[in-house]
Amino acid sequence: MIVCVAVVGHQNNPLYLQSFTEADDALKLHHIVHCSLDVIDERVNNPKRSAPTLNETFLGLLYPTENYKVYGYLTNTKVKFIMVTTDLDVKDADARNFFRKFHAAYVDAVSNPFHVPGKKIASRSFGARVSTIVKSFGSGITS
Amino acid sequence: MEDYPEELRTPPVSLVSIVGCPELHPSISAALSSQQPPMNTLALPDFAKASILARSGKPRDPLAPPQPPAGILKKDWLLKHRTRVPAAVAALFRADQVSGDPAQWLQACSDLENLKSAIQGKNTKLVVVLVQAQASDELSEDVTVALRKRAEIDSKNLVVLIEHDEAEWNRSLNKLKNVFAELCAAFYKEEGRRIKARIEKRNFASVELSIRYCFKVAIYAEFRRDWPEALKFYEEGVRVLREMIGTSTRLPPTQRLVEIKAVAEQFHFKISTLLLHAGKVVEAITWFRKHIRSYERVVGTPEVAFLHWEWFSRQFLVFGELIETTSTTIPDTLSPRFGTADNALTEWEFQPAYYYQLAATYLREKRYAIECSSSMANLTTEVNGVPESVMPSVYVGQYVRLFEQGDTVSVLPLSDTEYTSYALSEAERFQDSYEIIALFRKAYESFQSLGATRMASACSGGMAIEYYAAGDFSNAKQLFDSVAGLYRQEGWTTLLWENLGYLRECSIKLNSPKDFISYSLEMAALPLFSGSGEENRENKIKSGPAGSPTISRRENIQQEVINVLERKQSSEGTDDEFNNAMEEVTRLDIDQISPLRMVLIASVAFHDQSVKPGSPLLVSVSLLSHLPSPVVVDQLEVQFNQSDCNFVIHSAQEDSPPLDSNLHDQIVQDTSSLTLFTNRWMRLTHELKSGQSGKLECLSVKATINKHLVICCHAESPASMEDFPLWKFENQVETLPTKDTALAFSGQKLIQVEEPDAQVDLVLNSAGPALVGELFTVPVTIESKGHAVHSGELKINLVDARGGGLLLSPREAEDSESHHVELLGVSTASEDKESKEEADSIRKIQYSFGVISVPTLSVGDSWSCKLEIKWHRAKSVMLYVSLGYSLGSSEEEALHRLNVHRSLQIEGQIPLLISHQFLRPFRREPLLLSGIRSLGSDDKKCSLAMNESNMLIVTARNCTDVPLCLHSMTIQPDGDGEQLCSVQQISGISSGHAVVAPSEEYKGIFSVNPRAISTNFNLGEICLNWSRESSLGEDQDRVIIMKEQLPEVSIEESPLVVGMECPPYAILGIPFTIYVKIHNSTSLLQEIKYSLVDSQNFVFSGAHNHAAFILPKSEHTVRHKLVPLGSGSQQLPKITVTSVRYSAALTPSASAATVFVYPSEPKFNLETNHSTSDEIVS
Repeated sequence: MIVCVAVVGHQNNPLYLQSFTEADDALKLHHIVHCSLDVIDERVNNPKRSAPTLNETFLGLLYPTENYKVYGYLTNTKVKFIMVTTDLDVKDADARNFFRKFHAAYVDAVSNPFHVPGKKIASRSFGARVSTIVKSFGSGITS
Repeated sequence: MEDYPEELRTPPVSLVSIVGCPELHPSISAALSSQQPPMNTLALPDFAKASILARSGKPRDPLAPPQPPAGILKKDWLLKHRTRVPAAVAALFRADQVSGDPAQWLQACSDLENLKSAIQGKNTKLVVVLVQAQASDELSEDVTVALRKRAEIDSKNLVVLIEHDEAEWNRSLNKLKNVFAELCAAFYKEEGRRIKARIEKRNFASVELSIRYCFKVAIYAEFRRDWPEALKFYEEGVRVLREMIGTSTRLPPTQRLVEIKAVAEQFHFKISTLLLHAGKVVEAITWFRKHIRSYERVVGTPEVAFLHWEWFSRQFLVFGELIETTSTTIPDTLSPRFGTADNALTEWEFQPAYYYQLAATYLREKRYAIECSSSMANLTTEVNGVPESVMPSVYVGQYVRLFEQGDTVSVLPLSDTEYTSYALSEAERFQDSYEIIALFRKAYESFQSLGATRMASACSGGMAIEYYAAGDFSNAKQLFDSVAGLYRQEGWTTLLWENLGYLRECSIKLNSPKDFISYSLEMAALPLFSGSGEENRENKIKSGPAGSPTISRRENIQQEVINVLERKQSSEGTDDEFNNAMEEVTRLDIDQISPLRMVLIASVAFHDQSVKPGSPLLVSVSLLSHLPSPVVVDQLEVQFNQSDCNFVIHSAQEDSPPLDSNLHDQIVQDTSSLTLFTNRWMRLTHELKSGQSGKLECLSVKATINKHLVICCHAESPASMEDFPLWKFENQVETLPTKDTALAFSGQKLIQVEEPDAQVDLVLNSAGPALVGELFTVPVTIESKGHAVHSGELKINLVDARGGGLLLSPREAEDSESHHVELLGVSTASEDKESKEEADSIRKIQYSFGVISVPTLSVGDSWSCKLEIKWHRAKSVMLYVSLGYSLGSSEEEALHRLNVHRSLQIEGQIPLLISHQFLRPFRREPLLLSGIRSLGSDDKKCSLAMNESNMLIVTARNCTDVPLCLHSMTIQPDGDGEQLCSVQQISGISSGHAVVAPSEEYKGIFSVNPRAISTNFNLGEICLNWSRESSLGEDQDRVIIMKEQLPEVSIEESPLVVGMECPPYAILGIPFTIYVKIHNSTSLLQEIKYSLVDSQNFVFSGAHNHAAFILPKSEHTVRHKLVPLGSGSQQLPKITVTSVRYSAALTPSASAATVFVYPSEPKFNLETNHSTSDEIVS
């Protein structure tokens, strides 16, 4: 189950962060997402990464913490997507698929002429779409 | 890891025992332990002690049904095998003990028997060692055989040690070591096989035994250093153990879990150690993940959750320590694509810091669990009390109660309730906070060195929360402050909110109302994260003391600040001490980098860029606040760098008198109230009078709120205003600080107040271009038109108009006379009268710069002076004149000076251009030898013949635009030149002076008659006296002398002079005679040749060619009669005279060989004319 998704901007500032848990760990999720930026920095700036992976947007599992797993994705405009899940076994393909759909939703949201780039995403329809994507995660439904 | 027993932490080492001959024990033990792999020695000094090797346990009745095991692992089993159960026992006998005395032999036999019985029933191997003094002491064969028989051992297990020969001793000791090594391997293998057989046959009654057997097999394998087998059985044990959780019923559920986890911990530790020491990092981490995953949900009942978290935290801590001590690095073979299908691990999992952080997190979890459990348990424990004399049992992870009844002590099992209250009371005795802080600090330092600042901040935050929980508020505040910086910078408002909540509480606890107010205001002004704004999630622990970030909470916080300011007892936290710490007025300074910029920002813009002094100017002051509730400002004080301009705006509703009555301030009562609404600019425009000239800058805006809070904002220019640090990411309408958009983008908080207009005229006049050499005067007039001039000062500066500034070439800089243009002096009209007063006033004149003081002038007066400038070269010059003055003579007025600047470009021109020309006498051609010799050379020096009257024509050309008067033109001979050469003026200035109009020439003719031979003769210089032609004629004294040096000439004697005599004119058809006279002035005979070329205009008589000899100092004349055939100016036949001696030809010049031929007799008196013209020509 995905418990949190986030969009992080160029200055490592949160643009969108939504948690999907009943329990009160919203703050903890904020911390987890914030800390995961360190891993993204490390991965993106690591010179050891070979050339073919440069164009790879999916960053994979960033780090497991407590009972969460944090996955990352970096768009070509250097906007970061972060997903936190409690699932024990996440297939790479599932995560990639999720991020692909999430990216599409993000692109649609920021293509809104009334959206100012670099500002928080407040669109309700984006929120609704993200909820749908999150609910369909891992259930095998492709939309 | 340090808590684990020694035997668990180190790999097991084989144990052997030696009995007898105690004097040899130290050397044997040392030799064995230095072996590779080492062996530990259990040394028994004599055979009486051999009984400790015997099995200590009660003999089990083989017929009785097998008892179910009371636990999984016995605590001391491993220790026993490492220290008390040797794999082999060696009995040491001296050779003489067994060979000589029969009594001794019997004793040895009985000792051996005892030993054999002690190890009976075990697989412990027996070795017999015979100690000989010398190798030569041969033992009889039958003794050794008898001994072997007694001991029932193979021959190879009987070792002979040679004591007194070092080489032999080492050799025999080596043999003993090999025997021991072999026997140990055999022993542990056999033991292992024995237990393994039980596992394979499933020959046991309970799961516990299965696990225990796995452990034992693995330990035996470790004794043999068979790591793969050890690993295999440890893993098997863990698997069975994990299955046991749901099935075992031997113990009450809580204690069962505790036992299982304790055993699992040991198994896990063994596995991790084996993997890490074998360098299998990836496997170790993968194993750890599996271990954590299998146990993370096995929390047990909520009352004992703390036990789980403590255990769980320890797993992370121990694994982190293991990784740190083995100094793990990421293997190169691992794919660098962490976290994907290629490589399921992530970077942090290779870092001990990651485990420390999680260990700290879980330990904190334990602290929360204890708090919960304690509060729950308080009621129950009062009834039951904590059970006494509880102690760990012989089994790993079990606790029992000692029960004493009289002398007998029995061990009783505990119930779960008893155990829980025991564990709780034990746990409460420890302060976890400091351990958590230590763990977080370790993780913090490690992450910081890895460059993971956010992780490090999270650890810092964890530390801070623990300090807060432990009541160390100053440490907590310091840490929270450091973390808040990162969150502010990256805009993580929710995290910042939590931090500020703690900081607010810390400042209450530290009795710092100012901090409390500033943190509260910052919180109240924070932008909210839209995703987390649900009111029902109020949990103090999870989101800290701040509560959840909602608009209503922000409003509450703002209200709390106001309550504190108004000294109302607020609902929570603040006590009297806190209120006492409040000052009368709390001041907050907000600059451009302050986080409180969100609370209040002041933008100040002047409507103009510059202004005249004293004239009114408009300034817009705009305030913006992001506080959620409207803020009522009592008074607004705007401060400038010129304090005269400061002003105060009061709210109209405020009827109290101003707080500080600064008389200079302008007090303004505003009709509207000063209320700031959230994210809406409050714009105020105020008119003020500009102060002194210079920069007028708005420094700060002080807003007084609720009488006791003064917020002092640094004024910001709208043009250079930065975005709000956190609000810039928000979706909101961006508003401008002023209504005027141009002003909002370009407005500045500073304005230039100009100097007042000078009301004094400075007039520079000049009469056209200046002429080189004359004293050029420029009249300067100062005319007061409304300002009195006090302590005026006139500065004059001459600058090259073509730039460069210098009026002299650098090469000539040292020579003061070589200034091209020079300021010679300033003459004032009234100099005579005031010369004494002027004496002490400033008057400095220096080539191109001059300063003179101007007398005090009242309004309407004027003063003038003349600048005298002399040009030495033709140059264009800029003349700058500036007048500085003050309006009054008082000190204050004197400080403030006004300046008037004027400039004028003046051309410098050369007045007269002088040229000259030498002419030979008419129709006389002296032979000048230098002219022949220097043929083709570049020597342009003019040569003059001695004793001949040469002509010099000097031409002066007026180059200026004005007519000039030429008063005289003379040639001044140089030194003794006068005797050597007579210069006579033939024509000159007749009536006083000659006027030369622009671009006209004046010519003077001189005759030069040299009387001595000289190669470099200086004729002297031409002197011209000139002045400007002035109709008034008053400038007689202004005659300027202009001199020009004539070039040097060479004067030489000519050996031959050819003269030609010819009538001035001829008449067509009438013959006339020409004479060519050749004068030999040498004392030599001169041969000459001459030729005459035919001319079509003349017929002549006489030879064409002729040669003659001329005697010294005599003259030869050649005569020709000519009849002109054409009229007009006619060329005579060309005569060439050639001197053979000098091989030089002389030909009269074309002008000399020309004669005018009249067609008929002209109608004038020939006689008189002829005679005069002859005179002139000769």
